[in-house]
Amino acid sequence: MILRFLALAVLTTASAYAPQVSAQQISLTGAGSTFAYPLYSSWASQYHTLHSNVEINYQSIGSGGGIRQLIAGTVDFGATDGPMTDKELAEAQQKRGTAILHFPTALGADVPSYNIPGVTAELKFTPAALAGIYLGHITKWNDAEIQKSNPGVKLPAANIVVVHRSDGSGTTYCWVDYLSKVSSEWKNKVGVGTSVNWPVGLGGKGNEGVSGLIRRIPNSIGYIELIYSIQNHILYGDVENSSGKFIKADLNTVTSAAAGATKTMPADFRVSITNPPGATAYPISTYTWLLIPEKMADKTKGAALKIFLHWALTDGQQYTKPLAYAPLPSVVVQKELDQMKKLQY
Amino acid sequence: MSATYPPLSRKLVNIVMLSLTGLCTLLVVSALLTILVYLLWNGAHALNLNFFIKLPAPVGQSGGGVSNAIVGTLKLLALATVSGVPIGLLGGIYLSEFAGGWSAFTVRYTTDLLNGVPSVVMGIFVYTLVVLPMHHFSTLAGGIALGIMMIPIALRSTEDFLRAVPRSLREGGLALGASKSETIFTIVIPAAIYGILTGIMLDVARVAGETAPLLFTAFGNQFNSPGWLQPTASLPVVIYNYAISPYDEWHQQAWAAGFVLLSGLLVVSILARLVLARGKKMSHG
Repeated sequence: MILRFLALAVLTTASAYAPQVSAQQISLTGAGSTFAYPLYSSWASQYHTLHSNVEINYQSIGSGGGIRQLIAGTVDFGATDGPMTDKELAEAQQKRGTAILHFPTALGADVPSYNIPGVTAELKFTPAALAGIYLGHITKWNDAEIQKSNPGVKLPAANIVVVHRSDGSGTTYCWVDYLSKVSSEWKNKVGVGTSVNWPVGLGGKGNEGVSGLIRRIPNSIGYIELIYSIQNHILYGDVENSSGKFIKADLNTVTSAAAGATKTMPADFRVSITNPPGATAYPISTYTWLLIPEKMADKTKGAALKIFLHWALTDGQQYTKPLAYAPLPSVVVQKELDQMKKLQY
Repeated sequence: MSATYPPLSRKLVNIVMLSLTGLCTLLVVSALLTILVYLLWNGAHALNLNFFIKLPAPVGQSGGGVSNAIVGTLKLLALATVSGVPIGLLGGIYLSEFAGGWSAFTVRYTTDLLNGVPSVVMGIFVYTLVVLPMHHFSTLAGGIALGIMMIPIALRSTEDFLRAVPRSLREGGLALGASKSETIFTIVIPAAIYGILTGIMLDVARVAGETAPLLFTAFGNQFNSPGWLQPTASLPVVIYNYAISPYDEWHQQAWAAGFVLLSGLLVVSILARLVLARGKKMSHG
C-alpha cells in the first residue's frame, strides 16, 4: 500500500516536471541493412533530439533478415541494399495485404578491403582480379593479374583469405551483381542474390563481422561498405571501371555512378547502378533503400513514420556526407516525395 | 617377510591420482578466475559511470553506455521468473507429492528433454508462438523464452529438495489431522524452502547469460524500452553484437558488459549458497 502510494507520488511528480511533449511516445522498429547502419543509427539519434517523443529503433540484422521480418510483419519498416525481388514483393502482398515501396535514402559503395602485412599501398584491382579471387582462381597475392596493375608494390607470395558475408545481405547483392556484369563465369556459375553459393572463402555476419574478420586475419580480402573501411582504418583498393580507369570510392565517384541512372530511374526505384558508363564513376556503387509498407494498421505509427521518412529524404541528407555516403540526387528526392503520396496513412 | 603395507605401487597410484585431481580442481577454479580477470583487464577502460547510465552512442561515435541493456536484462529476468518458476514449482510439488508410476515418468522424461532443447530452438519456438501473432518483438516474448528455459531446472530442483524432506514429517502432519494439501504447504514446503529458493536463484543465473533465445524475441533496441510490448536491449545480445563489430570501443564495452553480467551471476550464486547455508543451519539447530 505504502509502496503503491510512493510510486504514485513519484509518477505524478515526474509527469509534472517532464517537458511537455506534443504527442505520445512512439517507437518505430526497423531492421535490415548493415551497409546503411552507421547512417540510420546517426539518423535515429539526430531525429530523437529533434522529436523527443519518437524513437527509431533500427537493428542491423542484414538486408536478407530485414526483408524476411518485414514480410512476416514483425517490424514497421525494413532496409536493404539489394532491391526486393518480385517474388518477395508478392509474398509480402499476400501475407500482409500491403504493397511494399522502395525509398532510396542514400548511395554507398562496396570497397575491396584488405589486410596484407607489410603492404601499406593502395592496391588497384581489375575486374578480372576481383572475379578471379572470389571464384578461387587467384589464390596468391603476388598473382600476375594483381601484380600487373600494381607494378610498384611488393606483394607477398601468401595465400589470399577470401571473406564474404554469411547472412543474407544487400552488400553481397551489390558485390555479386557487379561480378556478374564483369565476369560471365561468375554469372553462369554463381549468379546474383542477397546470399549465393560462394566458391571460396569464409563468412562473417554483417558488415561489422566482415570488417572484424579482415582486421583479424592477415592476407585477407573482403567487401564492405566504404564507411566501415574508413572508421576502422582498413585499407581499400581502387577498382577499374568500364572506361578502364582505376577509381577510388568516394563521394564524387559514387555520385557520378548514380548520375547516369537518374534519368532512367524506374518508377519503383528498384535499380542497379553497378558497372555504369562514365569515366569518373566508381563501379561497385548502389542505392540503399528503406522498405515501407503502403498500408499500416496503426495510423499513429504510420503518421510518425511518414514524417520521419520526409525528414530523412530532405533534412536528413546532410548527415550522409560526414559518414561517406553520397546524398541523393535532387531529381530522385522529388520522385520519392511524389511516391510518398501513395502511403495510405 | 618385511613387505610394507600398503605396497609401494598403491602408494604411487595414490600420489599420481591425488595430484591429478588436485590439478583438475586448480584448472576448474582458475578458469573462472582467469575469465573474470581477463574481462576486467579488457573492459576496465569502458567501465565508468557513463557505461551504467547512458544509452548507446550512434555507430562509430565514441562514448555512450549500455544502461538500456542492463535494465532490459533485469526486466527479462523478472518476467522469466514470474512466468517460468510457478510452473516449475507446482510441477515439482506434483512430482514429489502426488505423481506416481506412468505419469511421473512422463513428466520427468519430457522435462529432461525440454532441458536439452537447444536454446536457439526455444527462441524460434517463442518467435512463432508470440512474436508472429503479436506482430512485434517484445520484452514479453524474450521473458517467455527465458521463462520456458527455466521450467525444467525449477521443476527438478524443487522435486529434489522436497524429496529430501523426511517422510516422518509428512506422516506427522497427516497424523495430526491436517489434510494432504495443508501438510504440503505448511510443513513440507517450509522445510525445503531454502533449498527451493537456492534452486530458483541458480536457475535465474543460468538463463541470464542466454543470447540465442533473445535474438528473435527481445530483438534489440538502442533506446530504453517502455513497458513490456516493445523490443528491448539485453546484455547478452549487446555483448554478441559488440563483440563481432569492428569498433575498438564496442569491443571494450562488450568486455565490460561481460564483466558486469558475470559479476551479477557470481553475486546471485553466492547469495544462493548463503541462503542454502542458512537453511541448513536452521534445520540443524
